[in-house]
Amino acid sequence: MNTDLDCHPTTEILKGYVQGSLPTGWSVALSAHLELCQNCKQQYQDLESDAAQYWPHDSTDQGTQEFSDLVANIINQPQGDSSDVSVSGESPIAEIHMLDHSFTLPRILAKAANEGLVWKKLSGGINQAKLNIDTETQCEFIYMSPGSQTPMHKHQGNEITLVLDGSFSDASGTYEPADFIVRSGKDEHQPISEEGCLCFAVLDSPLTFTKGIARLFNPVNRYRFRNTIVQKP
Amino acid sequence: MIRNEDYPNIKPTPDSEEPVVVDAELALDTSRDPDSDEYLLIVTGNTQDTEAFSRLFQRYSSKIYAMGMKLTRNEQLSKDLVQEAMLNVWRKARLYDLDRGSAQSWIFTMTRNRCFDMLRKIKRQPNCLTADDIWPRESGAETGFLNEDALHEEKGSLAAEASIIAGYCGKLPKLQQDVIEQIYILDRTHEEAAAILEIPLGTLKSRLRLGISRLKLLIGVDQ
Repeated sequence: MNTDLDCHPTTEILKGYVQGSLPTGWSVALSAHLELCQNCKQQYQDLESDAAQYWPHDSTDQGTQEFSDLVANIINQPQGDSSDVSVSGESPIAEIHMLDHSFTLPRILAKAANEGLVWKKLSGGINQAKLNIDTETQCEFIYMSPGSQTPMHKHQGNEITLVLDGSFSDASGTYEPADFIVRSGKDEHQPISEEGCLCFAVLDSPLTFTKGIARLFNPVNRYRFRNTIVQKP
Repeated sequence: MIRNEDYPNIKPTPDSEEPVVVDAELALDTSRDPDSDEYLLIVTGNTQDTEAFSRLFQRYSSKIYAMGMKLTRNEQLSKDLVQEAMLNVWRKARLYDLDRGSAQSWIFTMTRNRCFDMLRKIKRQPNCLTADDIWPRESGAETGFLNEDALHEEKGSLAAEASIIAGYCGKLPKLQQDVIEQIYILDRTHEEAAAILEIPLGTLKSRLRLGISRLKLLIGVDQ
């Protein structure tokens, strides 16, 4: 884990996760990071405890009267139905195999990848496997083969990258497993990976490549993203 | 070349053996106060006390409504959330675990999770994930060790060795001793034991699980 760079979610992001107000893709990335980072997990538990303790009432006082009728409906229902004890089977996919090794995924990612991953080769030694998690973000596993380099690019929205295995570098530094990196629209970067790197990435909106021939692919890139977000389940 | 052994810290961490202590101590302290949320929740779960449940409803409906308005900005959805979350409180009260935190924390996470699932359903998001997958604490509390069949099986294999167990019991923490004694020595059902000890069934089961795994270590049985 990277200790020099700030590679952990901010308190603001963790608060959003506690409140359940983030897009699902973001929450999935946070859930996976908390499984890998004890410090952030502790911070999350403290924030959740605080949020519960200072849980505000509805100030308009709407409803408490109206709601009281509902009690009768509820207490007529049986307690402890069978759905209480859900089967906690392991997800069939818990490992990702790449080249000569395999990697055990954090629980939430194993669950999200349950239906199987389809890897697609992109240029520059980059491999991508998309996950259909929500319609507000685009979630994907990215595997950078050893010695790979992405074209210089920036993002229109936010991009979260969670390093799972291996490492990659850009102008700001080197990123290692469990690192949680947020890039905003104004950042321009060119990640390279000498030893290879498996990441989980969540994008708010399509990447905008800013250099060289990759620029030509921009409209296509946007079109593909639009297809992803309008896709009905 | 990537070698797995270079990154020992990235293996998923197993669930910790000890319960998460956030506001658990506070909850333990207040659970004997008949006006506390913890007490009301325990009574709701152990004896289906509708009066206790009504009081919880009065205390929480406006909080749940407020959270609903914040997350959905829709009055009807927020009212639905009150119904949905409080129905969950009623149904799952016996799974509440005193050792893991306050009643308010438990209802807070349950409300947030139900709201999340409700919104995803309305927005027709893929149903590959639920809130209980995303927020680890509640899923830990509701799955795995609360599996009734597994506990019954353990009961069978351990019942024959009651005398050995009794001998080792003294080495367990007091709270776990009490639970083991009720179930394995006095042969009470989980529900009876929870009612006698005045703790939620969820707490009884988690203490039982911790007690048993510690006993197994002491006795030297393979997990």
